[in-house]
Amino acid sequence: MRYARILVEGRELDITIDAQDKITTQEGESIDLPLDSDQITWLPPVKEPGTIFALGLNYADHATELNFAPPKEPLVFIKHANTLTGHKQTSYRPDNIEYQHYECELVAVIGKQGKNIKREDALDYVAGYTVCNDFAIRDYLENYYRPNLRVKSRDSLLPMGPWIVDVADVPNANNLRLTTTVNGKITQDGSTKDMIFDVPFLIEYLSKIMTLNPGDMIATGTPHGVADMQPGDTVVCSIESICDLETRIVSEQEYYGKNY
Amino acid sequence: MTATLLVNSKLVCVALNDKAQLKALDATFNQAPYNKPPTQPVLYYKPRNTWSVDAAEVEWAKDFDGKDVPTMVVGASLGVVIGKETCRVKPEEALSFVGGYTVVADYSLPEENYYRPDIKGKCLDTSAPVGPSLVAADKIAQPDALSVTIKVNGELKSTFDLSQMQRSVAELISIISNIMTLQAGEVIAVGFAGERVALAKGDKVEAAIAGIGTLNNTLGGI
Repeated sequence: MRYARILVEGRELDITIDAQDKITTQEGESIDLPLDSDQITWLPPVKEPGTIFALGLNYADHATELNFAPPKEPLVFIKHANTLTGHKQTSYRPDNIEYQHYECELVAVIGKQGKNIKREDALDYVAGYTVCNDFAIRDYLENYYRPNLRVKSRDSLLPMGPWIVDVADVPNANNLRLTTTVNGKITQDGSTKDMIFDVPFLIEYLSKIMTLNPGDMIATGTPHGVADMQPGDTVVCSIESICDLETRIVSEQEYYGKNY
Repeated sequence: MTATLLVNSKLVCVALNDKAQLKALDATFNQAPYNKPPTQPVLYYKPRNTWSVDAAEVEWAKDFDGKDVPTMVVGASLGVVIGKETCRVKPEEALSFVGGYTVVADYSLPEENYYRPDIKGKCLDTSAPVGPSLVAADKIAQPDALSVTIKVNGELKSTFDLSQMQRSVAELISIISNIMTLQAGEVIAVGFAGERVALAKGDKVEAAIAGIGTLNNTLGGI
C-alpha cells in the first residue's frame, strides 16, 4: 500500500493508493482519477512533519566526486518543514549563484517513537519509504556546521513524494536502483547498495543521541552524478519500487512573487 | 510535561555571535578546516525532541556506550519569538515581525568544533528549555540593550551583554528570513556568551534576562 496527501478541487485528502493505482480517501471515498491526472495537486506526503535528518557524503562515490574521504561516522544535518514541497511542484534557484545541484535520496519516515533502538529492530520504527530531492546551493557553503543552513534550509528545496510505500512492500531497501533525469536525460544512475550507513544503522545511531518521533524523516544521501540546475529545467528523482518525484525549477523572483 | 511549549515548529540558534569569542578564535578560524572566519551567521537547530520548559529537569546525557558523559555545558540567549509570517524582511522593518521575547537555554556537550553540524552535542532530549513566558514585543524597545546572566547553584557564572553581539537582533531576523520563511511561534536564540558554563549532575541553573524572566532548570543524572 502507498500513502499520500493530495488536493483535489480544493479538498485536502489523506489517501491510500492500492496496487491497481486506485485512490481511496481515509474516509473510504473512492477518487476516480488516474495518478497522472492534472486535477491532483501532490502535497508533501508526511502530514505532520517533524525533524528531518539528512545525510551528507553517505555514498562513497559521491564523497569522492566532491573530493572528500568517506566519513567514518554519519554526517547528519537537520532540516525543517519550510523546505518541503510536493511532487510536480516548483523549487527555486537563488539569484546570482553558480551551482545548484539536485540530490536524489531514499527517505525513511519514522512511524513510532523510540530511543536506543537496536539495529535489528530498526525497521519496526519505520512507517515507510519515500523519495526526496535534497537540493544544495554550493556557492553558500562555509566551513561552519557544514553543510550550513544557508545551503540546506531554504524554502522549497526539499521536494518529497509523491507517496510513502509500506516497508513490507520494499523487501530490500539496500538494493534499489536510483536514477535522476534532467529534462529527460539520465544524469545520475546509482544504487542504494552503495550507501555507507544504511537505514537500520542510522536509526540505531540517531536514537542513541535522541528520541525519534513519528513524522521524523531520515534522508539517506545521494550517489555520484550531480549536475547544475537552471530555471525551466525539470528534474525527476526516481527510486525503484518507491516512486518518481518530479520538480520544475523556477527563478527566485517567480517563486517568491510579491515577497520577492 | 505539563507546561505548554513556547516553541512552534522551529528553534534556530545563532552560534559564534559573541564578538570577544570571534576575536579569541580568529587564529583557529584562519586554519584548516575553517580556513577563514565565518562571513555569515553560524546557525544550528535545536530540534523538537530538545524543547522543554521552565522548571523541568534537563536529562544528563549518555555517551554511545550508554555511560554518563563527563561534562555538560549551558549557554543562554534572548529568544526572539516570531509574531507573524516573516519572509525576506529588511533589517529596518525586522523588529515589527517580532511577537515577543523569552529566554532560551541551550544545554549541550562542550562545543569542541564548529566544522560539522553538532548533532551529538546539541540534539539531546530536553536540552532546550524555553520560557518562563512570553513578554510582548512592545514592552521591549531595544532588545540589543539586554543582558543575559547564568547562575549555577546561586552563583553568578556568566554575563553577556547583547551589545557585544556580532550581529543585532534585527540583522539576524533579516538574514534568516532570507534563507527560510519564518512562521508565528518560531524562535530565534540570537546569541550566547562565547564561554559556555560547565555543569555537574544535579546543578540548579538560572538563566535570566532582566525585564524578560528567569528560566530555572535542574540537571538530572543523580
